Amino acid sequence: MYVELKNLNKRFGGFQASDNVSFGVGKGKLIGLLGPSGSGKTTILRMIAGLETPDSGDIFIGGTRMNDLPPAKRGIGLVFQNYALFRYMTVFDNIAFGLTVRKKDKKYIRDRVSELIKFIGLEGLEKRRPHQLSGGQKQRVAFARALAPNPHLLLLDEPFAAIDAKVRKELRSWLRDTINKVGITSVFVTHDQEEAVEVADEIVITNNGRVEQVGTPIEIYKDPKTPFAAGFIGKSVTISDYGKLRGFEKIEGFESALLRPESVHIMKPQKELYPHASQRGIVEDIFFKGDTLELRVNLDGQKLIAYQSLDGAAFSVGDEISVLIYRLYLLGENTVRLAENRSIKSEGNFFI
Amino acid sequence: MGSKAIKIALILLSASFVTIMLILPLVTVLTYSMRQGWRIFVSYITDYYTIKALNLTLLAAAVTLAVNTVFGIFSAWSITKFRFRGKQALTTLIDIPFSISPIIAGLVFILIFGRIGWAYPLMEAWNVKIVFAVPGIVLATVFVTFPFVSRELIPLMQSQGSEEEEAAALMGASGFLIFRKITFPHIKWGLLYGVILCAARALGEFGAVSVVSGHLRGKTNTLPLHVEVLFNEFKLTASFAVASILVVIAIIVLILRNIVEYRLKREDG
Repeated sequence: MYVELKNLNKRFGGFQASDNVSFGVGKGKLIGLLGPSGSGKTTILRMIAGLETPDSGDIFIGGTRMNDLPPAKRGIGLVFQNYALFRYMTVFDNIAFGLTVRKKDKKYIRDRVSELIKFIGLEGLEKRRPHQLSGGQKQRVAFARALAPNPHLLLLDEPFAAIDAKVRKELRSWLRDTINKVGITSVFVTHDQEEAVEVADEIVITNNGRVEQVGTPIEIYKDPKTPFAAGFIGKSVTISDYGKLRGFEKIEGFESALLRPESVHIMKPQKELYPHASQRGIVEDIFFKGDTLELRVNLDGQKLIAYQSLDGAAFSVGDEISVLIYRLYLLGENTVRLAENRSIKSEGNFFI
Repeated sequence: MGSKAIKIALILLSASFVTIMLILPLVTVLTYSMRQGWRIFVSYITDYYTIKALNLTLLAAAVTLAVNTVFGIFSAWSITKFRFRGKQALTTLIDIPFSISPIIAGLVFILIFGRIGWAYPLMEAWNVKIVFAVPGIVLATVFVTFPFVSRELIPLMQSQGSEEEEAAALMGASGFLIFRKITFPHIKWGLLYGVILCAARALGEFGAVSVVSGHLRGKTNTLPLHVEVLFNEFKLTASFAVASILVVIAIIVLILRNIVEYRLKREDG
């Protein structure tokens, strides 16, 4: 592990921002700290950077304990949420700042900054001030500024929060590619699960100052370890009385269940696939989501969400439909259990 | 139609109020002081004691500005860029001079450094005279004007946040470099505005200074005090002539203030 956090605790007054936080980051990996606002993810980032001091616990980077080192000595580049570009300096001076402070040779600074400006594709904008740049350009400058002194570890605080939706998608893949190209170990903070899933090699889910789960996006999606992780990744509805659903039975200790739209299959009643495993519901609402239809279905008083391809069977509001549920995530006190539809299994064939 | 009438009425009302309350007195000061002709006027304002008073006023103002600029920057910096216990209390304490009468401020210094004050023996031992001497005047002026600079800077630095400073610190910049390259360019016009307000008040301060000065002509008489002394001696023209110096200074400050205010607004936009 290149970065290693061990039992970090941090308290602000009566607020426990970090509660026994431990996880590691492999060398060259891109890690996403994902959690709702107030879950302590930014505090973790700031403790790694040295902008906050943990009350207890250890921070190791590259095998060295960093707790007592000042931020500048940790070999870290940080991209702030609102970029924090120096507003009274040009793009060039912004990127050069870290090198100028370290008293690097003038020619080296010029070459390094030109190289970075070319790298981020902003040639010709060297003389601009931050307020003359678009959100995406500002982010690129912030990124280049953080990379200029050749840090070993790059930290990014909500790198896409201040950018509008369309540019954000573009920047996401740009950032991912660029970080891979540079090969620098990186940790970024986000509250947007879609962003974390798309960009990160591994995700650390935080909640109430604690780490809920660490794993690749697929692992967390398929095998969530805590009710919070199950609910936070992917879209889902909570079902309180899941024993009533056909193919599932109530298990002691699991009070409710999560149902993801992708585990729901809907059919016209006359084309029902597994009569024993399906049950009837009513379409209550249909939303067009750009590339799919999202249906709100009422199943004996239980509301659920299903997706329907635009090419599939057409439904309209009020239709009676056949609903097949493949799997549920049963939520216990602190555990999650996957439950498959038993009736499909007993029929002995698989849905393709 | 109705709103137009209201508009005209309001403009007239405020214009006449400003004329009667502000412009008329200033014009009166200037015309009254010229009553006996230019030559006499010049002789009054170049009088030995007037020049002495002017010098003392400028000296007190200069020291005050230096002290309060440094204090204002430090206090605004600590309040806006750090988290600590008692921050709210400090912010409130800075405002004390705005909320208590200058006379009381003056009396406080008499009670501390005067013959009955607890610090008197100490000062005596060091052979420093504060009350009824120049240090007392400077102290009183500093006290009365010290919120101006920090009051001006705190909101400005709060809106800037501390991310830019953190970014610079992370790259290894020293505190002074951060101030020079990142904080100062942002606050310079606000700072100048605060300094000008502070200067205006320091030059015209009467109450607190009057208590600690002792009115020793040529020694501890500031310009505003000198005006009063002359007035009490029924030298009306002389007192108005000296007052006109203060009026001219006030007008210069006003113009400077407007220029800086304009730059501040442009910086925002």
